[in-house]
Amino acid sequence: MDTTQLLKGVLDLAVLAVLRDEDGYGYDILRRLREAGLEEVGDASVYGTLRRLFAAGLLTTYVVPSESGPHRKYYSLNAAGRDQLTRSGKLWRSFATTMDALLDERGVAA
Amino acid sequence: MTVTEQEITEYVERVRAALADLPAAVRDELTEDLAEHLAEVAAEAGGSLVDRLGAPEAYAAELRAAAGAPSVGRRTLDHRLAAAVHRTRGRLRTLDARLGPPLGYATASEFLRLLRPAWWVLRAYLAAMLVTTVSTGGSFGLLPRFGGELLAGLMLLAGLVLVSVWLGRRSEGLHGWPRWALHASSVVLVVFALAGLANAENRAGYYPYDPIAVNNPYDAVRDVFVYDSEGRLVENARLFDQDGNPIRLGYPDCVDEWDANGNPLLRPYPYCPDRAPFAPRAPAHHPSTAPVLPPLGTPSATPDPTVGPTGTAPPSATPSGTPEPTGSAGTPAPTATPAPTATR
Repeated sequence: MDTTQLLKGVLDLAVLAVLRDEDGYGYDILRRLREAGLEEVGDASVYGTLRRLFAAGLLTTYVVPSESGPHRKYYSLNAAGRDQLTRSGKLWRSFATTMDALLDERGVAA
Repeated sequence: MTVTEQEITEYVERVRAALADLPAAVRDELTEDLAEHLAEVAAEAGGSLVDRLGAPEAYAAELRAAAGAPSVGRRTLDHRLAAAVHRTRGRLRTLDARLGPPLGYATASEFLRLLRPAWWVLRAYLAAMLVTTVSTGGSFGLLPRFGGELLAGLMLLAGLVLVSVWLGRRSEGLHGWPRWALHASSVVLVVFALAGLANAENRAGYYPYDPIAVNNPYDAVRDVFVYDSEGRLVENARLFDQDGNPIRLGYPDCVDEWDANGNPLLRPYPYCPDRAPFAPRAPAHHPSTAPVLPPLGTPSATPDPTVGPTGTAPPSATPSGTPEPTGSAGTPAPTATPAPTATR
């Protein structure tokens, strides 16, 4: 099992989380994820996830013109996105707690 | 900036091609913003897109997984075929939209759709002509015939038109093999129509050069008789045109045995001397009632031989007519006997 496989399950949650406080454009979001420690996340994965969350109605977009480069499409959480973040966050914490406990009981090193 | 617009466009195109097996709507939705996104990526750091993001195909696979679209392990022939079909459809759609305005419609297909009922009638006619060809064994004109019967052919045509229109109005709802059968039979009819047109074109094209004229004045000529200046029939005559080519007229239908050459048309004229229109002159061995051709030049210089020696002997020596005493007035023979009386 490597990080890539784990990411598949939680990338939605991670993207929603890094957009919670601040809107961002594609590359910006990728950089936030990597700074947060998800080094192996790929550009296409982030882009694809953004497209899917947008299609699911969890994100809204707006374009910000730029004087020194391409226009940037910013993504922001809408109400549905915030709900989803709350629910998915709780689910993950519960899941992670369960997994931690499971490993702790069997003495697997952290 | 090291990444050009063109590089981005090419990268996007390759990603889209790798996703060609997806439904068009899904793929469009996935790659809608890709060019803008790649422009952002390119603006953030140096190096080519392939250096920074990997091959477009790998990018597409990751995108496919992240977006939750159905994945393909290997691209099978089916997928490549689907991609090719998709590309062709896209090109046709572009062409469709481009050809529309000159015709006065939004798209060319909108215009063509108006012509569909005409095609329904036309294909019924073609089907009737196909039946005609099969039932009459190849020869056909412009009207359908069923086994040579025009009325039956027209009834067949009317029936086929009704069926064709009925089918046409329902073909939208056809799926699976009925749809394929309909398309296949349409292709057959189109091929048949093209073959028929080529056939008709050939026949029409040859007609003006046909050497057999309809009103040939020599059609009725069966034999040729040549007479010399004396009105005598010339036998074994041969005719040539200005180029030295033999002129062949008529046919030797009176000759029993074939010529040694094998070709009866190589025989000299006349084929049948017995049928000469003018009688032979001198030897009247067979009493012909045919008129005689007078010689050229002075027709009256030579006396007609048939009149001369034959009409000279009147049959007057019959002895039965002699004892007639009617002419006795001129015969004073008995009365002249008493001549001695005058001697006294």
